[in-house]
Amino acid sequence: MTLTAERARRPSTDRPRRGTKGRQGRETLILMLPALVPVLVFSVGPLLYGIFLAFTDARSGRNAVTSFVGLSNFGDLLTDGDFWASFRIGLIWAVSVTVLQFLASLGLALLLNENLRFRSFARVLVLVPWAMPPVVIGLMWRLVYHPNAGILNSVLQQLGVIGHNVDWLNDFSIALPAIIVVGIWTGMPQTTVVLLAGLQTVPKELYEAGHMDGATTLRRFWSITLPQLRPVIVTITSLDFVWNINQFGLVYVLTQGGPGGQTRLPMLFAYEEAFRYGFFGYAATLGVAFVIVVLAVLGLYIGRQLREAN
Amino acid sequence: MRTRTALAAAAAIVALAAGCSSAATGGGDKAGGPVTLKFLSLAWQKESIAANKQIVDEWNKSNPNTKVEYVQGSWDNVNDQLVTSFEAGDPPDVIHDDSPALAGFASRGYLADLSGKLPADLKSDIPQPAWDTVTFGDGKGGKGVYGVPFLQESQVIIANKKLLDAAKVRVPTPDQPWTWDEFAQISKKLTKDGSFGVAWPLKSPVNKVLNLGLNFGGTFFQTDGAKATVKVGPEEREVLQRIHDQLYKDKSADPSALGMGTADPLPGFYAGKYALLPAGVYLRQQVVEQAPPGFQWITIPPLKGTSTNQGATSQTLSVAADSKYPDQATKFISFFLNSANQAKLAKGDWLLPTSTKAASDPSMTTKENGWDVATASAKNLVVAPYLRVNGFDEWKSKVATPTLQQYFADKITLDQAAKTLVEEGDKVLARYTK
Repeated sequence: MTLTAERARRPSTDRPRRGTKGRQGRETLILMLPALVPVLVFSVGPLLYGIFLAFTDARSGRNAVTSFVGLSNFGDLLTDGDFWASFRIGLIWAVSVTVLQFLASLGLALLLNENLRFRSFARVLVLVPWAMPPVVIGLMWRLVYHPNAGILNSVLQQLGVIGHNVDWLNDFSIALPAIIVVGIWTGMPQTTVVLLAGLQTVPKELYEAGHMDGATTLRRFWSITLPQLRPVIVTITSLDFVWNINQFGLVYVLTQGGPGGQTRLPMLFAYEEAFRYGFFGYAATLGVAFVIVVLAVLGLYIGRQLREAN
Repeated sequence: MRTRTALAAAAAIVALAAGCSSAATGGGDKAGGPVTLKFLSLAWQKESIAANKQIVDEWNKSNPNTKVEYVQGSWDNVNDQLVTSFEAGDPPDVIHDDSPALAGFASRGYLADLSGKLPADLKSDIPQPAWDTVTFGDGKGGKGVYGVPFLQESQVIIANKKLLDAAKVRVPTPDQPWTWDEFAQISKKLTKDGSFGVAWPLKSPVNKVLNLGLNFGGTFFQTDGAKATVKVGPEEREVLQRIHDQLYKDKSADPSALGMGTADPLPGFYAGKYALLPAGVYLRQQVVEQAPPGFQWITIPPLKGTSTNQGATSQTLSVAADSKYPDQATKFISFFLNSANQAKLAKGDWLLPTSTKAASDPSMTTKENGWDVATASAKNLVVAPYLRVNGFDEWKSKVATPTLQQYFADKITLDQAAKTLVEEGDKVLARYTK
């Protein structure tokens, strides 16, 4: 009813478009509301609450009194040796998993892009780790790494590589490399699929032209494939980096951060601070600090890539 | 018109989301009507789960108005799980845990104070040293009893009888135990032909070392009012040094057992690779079940330093402060832990009952499977000093575990270890007195 009235009035008003625009905006908002409410309630709300907590001394306890402490949590963070140790482990983990995962996936994607027999079957097979939840992957690899009953030790023993059983996940120096291997395995499907999709968009003519000019396979890869793939590579490595530095479930199941904190990734550290020791405020600070670090790293990385692309 | 419908729909969604949490907490609060209690149990051995469920069934049959629902938990993550459920305001009514965890929960007000609420016969059946393991500050200057202790663990040594007989060593009794010196000599004597006298599985060294430390009066902590600090003096160093000597000086302990959990050396133990295996009394269960036929073993009573004292922690049942039916929950605990039931639970878990009546039960004093030695070792248990230390858990996982692991792996000296334990440790503990 109101709509017809509006339309009838339109010719006579001086600024007809503004009214319609306002109305349209309002309608858009209303239509968006059902989608917006869950986002606000379940994502934005907790996020803001988390940021707020980072500036308080919130602790667990029915009789705990929370007060605003300003930046003192961030001050504690800077002098917290355990945090920096965990941060270092997190960076080693995230960088090595991302880089190795990328290299392995690129190889796999190139292979799957060739005209091989059973190609489609192999492509499906590659996706298997993706179909498993992290907890299941963790449990499975714990069995693989089991010191007495694990398949890895028995295979290596039979091959004569090791003389006695190795406790992969409890050895101070081996635990981190051991979980990095699992991390690479877990993340390969996404990376491979994305790179494969990227490879298929590279125009065939470029390769033909390269062929005509007598470029070697290596040369064609270096001068055609890589530059063409660049946007895809930038996207997938930065996404992988974010996923990896935020990894929690996998490592929680595999080692719970042990032995002696050698695999205590930053997210495990924050989890322990909050739910084991009860320092909610400080744990929130850790979370905020990580958002800042990840944003900074990504900003630098993507910014540089974009500049180079231009 | 449309606006209103959309708004109403949105409001409904929000209300629904908010309602989810409050709707789940029901459970029959009609006055006088039947109530349901949730009982979080951490029993994990088969016999023990059976015993737990059987006692719950008995209760449910004779108390139709207070139905107890058995909820299975796990030691691995129980404390994380409890913190979240306490904070959410919907904890289980009856909680199975152990005394080291209770101190923190009590000071944060999560648990109900049971002092004055427990029946007299239960109170007198359990001796005071056991009650000491559950008596903590309430975080507001007062003190309370925050659980009923029911199972305790002492550290004994499980020994290969054939190897002991062959080496002609004195078999000790609870009245005449081995001293640590004697233990060191005997371990040396038993080390020959490629086998070792003893295996120290020290993957999680902290509680073991702290409990044994009391043999020489090593408390590891000193408290000054509410403030606790770490102390590693001559008394504390005794046990650390002695174990280290066995590994690297006497070479009577197998270094490859170091990274193992308590039960991991068992296959080597059955194979005669080590003659002595220091362990909690509960490990007897696995020896009984898994040992190859004809394998002869005995339980050696706790060692003696300047005394035979060992630090004790207990498994406990507590009532959540947020429980809607604390009285019924307390009644259930009193039934669950009467002496007859405690004997069943102790047998199921191969641990020591706190109840004096249960401890005198014939099944607890039989020579079979070392029960006589195990039960007698209960008299050596005194409250472990670290139970009263707020922040012990963080000290243990961040400082003590890595430091002791490095010390026993001979990567750092005792002086370095002591320095780290104290300096880093005091920093951690300071967070809890702020």
